[in-house]
Amino acid sequence: MSRPVYLAGSGLLCARGDSPEAVAASLWAGSYQAEKRRLGEREFPFFPLPLPETDWIQRAEQAVRHVNAQLGQLPAGTPLFIASSSFQIGYFEQQGEPFKLPVANAEFSQQIAQWMQLDGPCASFSSACISGFSAIEAARSLIASGQIDEAIIIGFELANNVTLAGFAAMELLSRTTCRPFDLNRDGLVLGEAVAAIRLSATPANWRIAGLRTGIDAYSTTGPDPEGGPIARVTVDCLNEANFLPGDIELIKVQAAGSPGTDLAEANALKIVFGDQIPPLLSLKPALGHTLGASGIAELASLIACLAADQIPATSGHSEDDPEIEPVSPVDRNECHINRAMLNLIGFGGGLATMIIERA
Amino acid sequence: MMAYLNTPISQRFTADELSAAVRTTLGKPLRRAAALTQLALVGSLAALPENRRHLPTALLWQSTSGPRAETLELLLEVCVGSGEPMPFGFLAIQPAIAAAQIQPFLPGLQTASYFPLDTVGKAQWSLLLNMALNWLAEGRYAQVLCAHLDLTPSGAESHWLDLSKEPLDNSLIRLQLSSIANQNTLPDTPDFPQHLKRWQQQPNTNVLNLQSPTGYRQALEFNRL
Repeated sequence: MSRPVYLAGSGLLCARGDSPEAVAASLWAGSYQAEKRRLGEREFPFFPLPLPETDWIQRAEQAVRHVNAQLGQLPAGTPLFIASSSFQIGYFEQQGEPFKLPVANAEFSQQIAQWMQLDGPCASFSSACISGFSAIEAARSLIASGQIDEAIIIGFELANNVTLAGFAAMELLSRTTCRPFDLNRDGLVLGEAVAAIRLSATPANWRIAGLRTGIDAYSTTGPDPEGGPIARVTVDCLNEANFLPGDIELIKVQAAGSPGTDLAEANALKIVFGDQIPPLLSLKPALGHTLGASGIAELASLIACLAADQIPATSGHSEDDPEIEPVSPVDRNECHINRAMLNLIGFGGGLATMIIERA
Repeated sequence: MMAYLNTPISQRFTADELSAAVRTTLGKPLRRAAALTQLALVGSLAALPENRRHLPTALLWQSTSGPRAETLELLLEVCVGSGEPMPFGFLAIQPAIAAAQIQPFLPGLQTASYFPLDTVGKAQWSLLLNMALNWLAEGRYAQVLCAHLDLTPSGAESHWLDLSKEPLDNSLIRLQLSSIANQNTLPDTPDFPQHLKRWQQQPNTNVLNLQSPTGYRQALEFNRL
């Protein structure tokens, strides 16, 4: 048995707004301002959630409950799939020594399920930046095979110093702004997000036409600059969807402004699409890189943009890089998109591509 | 929809034994690899003989402990120490990196997903095996490795199931979906492969079920070949 899987609803809280529609409107208006987050003597641009609380656990609860409320009434037994790269590590930081880590490393998922008032099957995913698509892939597999009919996939990423310090130590962060595919790009900018997608076997406006994950083992800290592994996952996804490259009308690229990863992604796009590269959009200059939540947060944002027929501009890009041109983001426009691709290129070698199509 | 399993594998190591096992397996140490990565490498190579390591493979692995000791160390370093960790300290708490470090030795490895567990004593074999069955039925991969890996203060432990779409010479068990059964059902625990192996070696019942999460329509049914 294999049946189509639909995107039946979404919820979102991120720096750009408190719902997918609010985020889409903010993106269309060109809003992309970041705040600052301090680490020792240094400050980095950062995209925090628009929440006043400072207590980590209260903040987490408010964010999860807010996003859950956007999903409508859910049967208590709805299966829940939770994606995060850091889970509650910010809570341990706030509690301080002695750090009371639970024996089960994703114990915090039980708390998320409780806040969402869901008591059905619950699974957790932590595949760095592709965690969200890994979780969607698992849920889609169960729905497609008829095991379950509905699932909620939630991406959860709140600020913590371990992640900020880790990325800073590897010189992966920009000190100024995120500049996708730009000549002067100098790193990514982190952000917070809590986002959810409701998957269903019941027809809805969008269906998942293809979803593939993969590995780029070139290095644990960056992809093959030639883009070969990324291109292979993209082609696998096109084949699964039974689409040709020319069928794709828009790509939500990873394009986080990282010198190496942007280059690899641009080369992969050239391999797959040749000189017919579809319009490109990066959401990271406006949302920040929300790591384990990025797949869900960007999917929810993109669907809201497409529903409004409003493709926002990609801020931060001002000068083409001769090494990667003609790959550059599309201008703000009002095209009606029927088929869109979403790319994720994860820290640590994870890759994922999804294609969505209007049903 | 069905798949075939070879002999379930379980491994236990002390911390010293794990490094030695890596050196024995590779003929050299695996540089800058966290303990979970080393455990995953040794287990995956034990589960797949050399002539099958180039075949399209997916790895689905779960852990109760995760990189606990490394996470504690990093928290101390960031919150109490100098504030900026060494890059390896941060890489060591990213289980997703394991796949990139394993792939050079398992060239057919095409995808991997890590499932941190939320309850001590409970596992997600049912989810992993359902995904494996679906992917094998679609023809995505020739084989899927499903694993549970754990680190304790005294050592490391792992359990492995190797599924393929076609029966191999040494396939011992057939896996398929069936209606939910209450008889001869094992709970979904980290050491499920050990129980599966024990059942396979005892000729009193031909069918075994793995407990399904509430709400799943069908159960996973194991048949002795």
